[in-house]
Amino acid sequence: MTAAPADRDTVGPSVGRRARFEEWAERQASLVFILPATLVILGFSLFPLLVSAYLAVSRFRLGPGGFELSFVGFANFRKLLFGSEQFHFLGRLEALGPLSWAVLIGVAALLGWWLARAYRNPKTGVIGKVGRTITATVALGLTALTLTTTLAGGAFGSLMTTLFYVVVGCTLQFLIGLGLAILCAQPIVGRNVFRILFFIPVMVTPVGIAYAFRMLADMSRGPLAPIWSAFGLGELSWAADPWAARMVVVIGDSWQWVPFIFIVLLAALENQPREQLEAAQLDGASGWQTFRDVSWPAIAPTAATVMLIRIIEAFKIIDLPNVLTNGGPGIATESMTLHSFFAWRTQDLGGSAAVAYMLLFVSVVISVSFFHFVVRRARREHL
Amino acid sequence: MTTIDRRPTPVTSIAHHTMPQPGPIARLFEPRRIGKMSPMTAFVVYGGLLFWTVIVVFPLYWLLVTSVKLPIDVNEGPRYLPFIDFQPSAHAWRYVFIDIGGDTFRPYVNSLIIATVSTVLAMLVGSMAAYALVRIEYRPSLGSIVMFLACLAAAIVAVVAAGVPWWIAAVGLVAVFLLLLRAIGRRFQRRLGNADIQFWIISQRILPPVVVALPIYVMFQNLGLLNTRTAFIITYATINLPIVVWLMHDFFASIPIDLEESAQLDGASRYRIFFDIVLPLAKPGIAATGLLVLVLAWNEYLLALFLSGADVQTMPLLVAAQNATRGPQWWYMSVLIVIMIVPVVTIALFLQRLIARGLLVGSVKG
Amino acid sequence: MIAFHGVKSARVCLLAAATSVLALGTAGAQDYSGVTVNIMTFTGPQIAEPLQRRAPDFEAATGADINVITVPFSDLYTRLLTDWATRTNSVDAAVFAPQWSVDFITPGFLVDLTDWVAADDALEVDDIAGFFREFSQQFSGRTYMLTLDGDFQMAYYRTDVLAQLGMDPPETWDDYLAIAEAAHGMDMNGDDQPDYGSCISKKRNAQAYWAIHSIAGAFLQSQGTSQGAFFDPETMAPLVNNAGFRAALEIYVATTEFGPPDEINLDVGDTRSLFTIGRCALTIDWGDIGTLAIDPENSNVVDLVGATMLPGSTEVLDRATGELVPCDDATCPYAINGVNRAPFAAFGGWSGGINAAVDERTQEAAYAFFSFMSRPEHSNEDVTIGITGFNPYRVSQFENLDRWLAAGMSEEAASSYLGAIGDSLSSPNMIIDLRIPQNQRYQQVVLDTALARLLAGEIDIDDAMAQIEAGWDELNDEIGRDDQLAAYRASLGL
Repeated sequence: MTAAPADRDTVGPSVGRRARFEEWAERQASLVFILPATLVILGFSLFPLLVSAYLAVSRFRLGPGGFELSFVGFANFRKLLFGSEQFHFLGRLEALGPLSWAVLIGVAALLGWWLARAYRNPKTGVIGKVGRTITATVALGLTALTLTTTLAGGAFGSLMTTLFYVVVGCTLQFLIGLGLAILCAQPIVGRNVFRILFFIPVMVTPVGIAYAFRMLADMSRGPLAPIWSAFGLGELSWAADPWAARMVVVIGDSWQWVPFIFIVLLAALENQPREQLEAAQLDGASGWQTFRDVSWPAIAPTAATVMLIRIIEAFKIIDLPNVLTNGGPGIATESMTLHSFFAWRTQDLGGSAAVAYMLLFVSVVISVSFFHFVVRRARREHL
Repeated sequence: MTTIDRRPTPVTSIAHHTMPQPGPIARLFEPRRIGKMSPMTAFVVYGGLLFWTVIVVFPLYWLLVTSVKLPIDVNEGPRYLPFIDFQPSAHAWRYVFIDIGGDTFRPYVNSLIIATVSTVLAMLVGSMAAYALVRIEYRPSLGSIVMFLACLAAAIVAVVAAGVPWWIAAVGLVAVFLLLLRAIGRRFQRRLGNADIQFWIISQRILPPVVVALPIYVMFQNLGLLNTRTAFIITYATINLPIVVWLMHDFFASIPIDLEESAQLDGASRYRIFFDIVLPLAKPGIAATGLLVLVLAWNEYLLALFLSGADVQTMPLLVAAQNATRGPQWWYMSVLIVIMIVPVVTIALFLQRLIARGLLVGSVKG
Repeated sequence: MIAFHGVKSARVCLLAAATSVLALGTAGAQDYSGVTVNIMTFTGPQIAEPLQRRAPDFEAATGADINVITVPFSDLYTRLLTDWATRTNSVDAAVFAPQWSVDFITPGFLVDLTDWVAADDALEVDDIAGFFREFSQQFSGRTYMLTLDGDFQMAYYRTDVLAQLGMDPPETWDDYLAIAEAAHGMDMNGDDQPDYGSCISKKRNAQAYWAIHSIAGAFLQSQGTSQGAFFDPETMAPLVNNAGFRAALEIYVATTEFGPPDEINLDVGDTRSLFTIGRCALTIDWGDIGTLAIDPENSNVVDLVGATMLPGSTEVLDRATGELVPCDDATCPYAINGVNRAPFAAFGGWSGGINAAVDERTQEAAYAFFSFMSRPEHSNEDVTIGITGFNPYRVSQFENLDRWLAAGMSEEAASSYLGAIGDSLSSPNMIIDLRIPQNQRYQQVVLDTALARLLAGEIDIDDAMAQIEAGWDELNDEIGRDDQLAAYRASLGL
């Protein structure tokens, strides 16, 4: 330590104690900084995870003066995957046709090639191998599920609906967000006004957005009603069509989250190295070439990270489908969180926890895979 | 103190560079000068921006208009313009502010307190952790962590399944862990780094709220905190911690280390460096992250549903509750949504300069 | 007061306040000073409004402190159960559905009110209609709930539309469909736009699934309330995979053709507003429409609404064979004009129940408050006000027209509305809603999901019936068939 505290040390014993305390505190600083966050997060993740795991393998019953939990093994999961709740969770499964088989085999071959390459690479460690195997297995399973519930004529369950929201929603939000960011990055007047204006939707409570979109999407009393009836669609209803209803959910979700992606990507665009941009323009490169060769590499790491955040959050979607359609028509818009929530609401705590655990599994595999194979790569390649 | 100015340097520095003369049609597509847009581009750019402005503003306008409609104006089909299409009425505002004034005011105050306090807590704890992850190297051994988790799991099982009082379990946990650490701690070789810790913290955000909701309810019930603002504050601060660590980590990483090093040479403690030097430098980052966390806490619905009891309701619950057996009370709901948007947008306007200083820039960058 | 209800209800409330003070003066109220009663119900204004409005009078008279806590309707059941099952007990009493009460009675969460009711003269319990007194309030012959609201479904029709068509109010479901078909596409509110033949709320996870038993009831139950319409009371076999339920599903699906395009996404609130702005010829609903339709500020159909007991069927299910048989004296002892009618007490009417885990003085204060709400001089006012959400459940409420005329109904409308209520309430063939432990999982999960998928075209009627049967059987086995059977029989008074 430097001289100042040492000088004070000589003044008196009380100050000495204080100095010793300060010295001790300084030694512990590295722990003091990180421990509160670690402990709090640990407490809030480990305890709920254990309790939920316990609930997922039990059956909840009200008993005299309270409740009782009885152990039922994997019955709750069996019900979701193979039993009476299969249609609800996985969807209505149909036998695959020749086209679906061809697609499935193609995807399997692709994944196999990717895995084999990773296994042959001496740099891949044990964890890397296990991780890639899990990613590939889940990817194959989800492909099969997608094929049987779409091409083969089946119907989505809450798992596929959630993935639909994540994949379609996040893609849409990314494209619009990026487009707006590019527009706003042009030398325009009033950039700050647009920036603030476009940011507002993030701040509206999702429940409120859901209700607002229910008003807007009403085809006979909503503001767009004249347009619908002009096209002769006034007597149709999006709420009765599964795909239209899912799209309305995605549109509401996008309205809220495009701004988040927009503002981050705009910041990234503004931050890209000016010299390269100007050099490219002087070389007479077209706008598209400049974007592809200069801007995109510069913002790719940011884009990958912001999409990771968005994907993680997108898995938790509940407010919009709940308010817009209560999960209908049929079960067409029911996300996994909503599925779990409905089960909880009727005191089926075991079933609720089982769905929640399946959601945890799927979102962990996909988020971690995205992190490893997209975010890390983007950062490594471009930094 | 100098802040890092990230404003883009104007491109106009070489703006007067002349271009070869294009033909009349090509002129539509060619900028007259570098750093300016061609007329066609300008049309597309402003057209796109205006289009999105309409998309953003219209739902908000519709909420505002609905809040001054009578039920029959809503039910009888679209009416767009107050005074022209329909006679506006303040009945919904009167109902929300006067008739059930107390029932609006209480959740509003609850939401205000819960959102601000939890944000401050999350920012404080999270920034410290983020800063530490940037500047201090941690090498926890994997074995000790696994050992600690095993002890913790055992303690939780003891509390939940065997009914041991939680404080006894906590003391036992610490004691057993320390003993074990003394005994076999040195044998563990494999160590983790900062990146692993950071990823672990971030990964907590993946946990779906619906997994943690019921256990959290049970936990607060055991602690006697159910139906208090404290429960909300603790919960929101915790679930938003990962975001703070994530975003602030990159802010801190972008601050040059020289200032801190010279402060350290002057004898400043780590705490001093953090609070007096680093935090002021990271002000824009704090503003941006804080706003995001505040918004998340202010709008949270699912956990609030589980945690709120007789006394502590928050605003999102009140909004959702307007969907009564008589159908959604659109007019009341719109008023509530509008008064929920106002404070956050005001704060955003205030922080605008800080946020606009491009600090979301550094945020998500590696 | 509630803003849009305007001057009239303010006047009614003043009147109500005045009478209640008088009533307390004469009854010699007990002293509960220092007692706070936390009463949970759902976020109103319905149900919560009258509780909040009358609480000050009660507080002034007894010194108790009444604290009404509201939560969204869809969360009420779980929130209440979680509070009591985890012994948090922050809620002392609740106004909720008697249908849910079995989940509270079997674990012993509810106070047995039998003796209190017997000793309570001001309640005038004999004035409460028989169905509510003997079935709705009771379980296994003991009283656990105090009825504050009479809930059963009825059919509503537009008198002007029927007159224009030259048709009579529906007596059977075939009549209902015929009217719906004839009226569909007519302009009923004068805006030159085609309107709808029938509006029935069919939204998933809302309050729609009751409608199916409003239709199926007439096919499934003909021998009186204790025959039951959900399970066979001897074997607990679900009554859903048979010709009667199939007929009901066919009607249910057929009504969709004559409904609004987004009927599948309409909650009862939405169909109510559609009906009251004049866009529907027919609807099935609880008593609410009667009072909502006479609110001049929000209704275009004042005095154009008729009500009738739920339509019926001339064929009923023979439970031995699973086939339909024609009505005769033996198969349909309660038939009217040869038509078996079975009014459905869906949901059962908001009722007060008291937490058995709180101290006795709080229990007594809570009981005194519920009794205060239910006694004729108060409830007879409240049931005439649309905003309360309270519908008639006392004999004196539908025998005396004066209050209804004072509330703004024409004599014709009042006698149609009260006639339908009276007919339903006095029917010995009323269907009691399913009241077995975890009934929410039977109805809100299994039944509701199957119906929603049927309407969405995901499955056909055979699949729907098979799925409901399988789902109910699975729940029976999971929860315990014998326990469920015992509870079912207890709810039927067997």
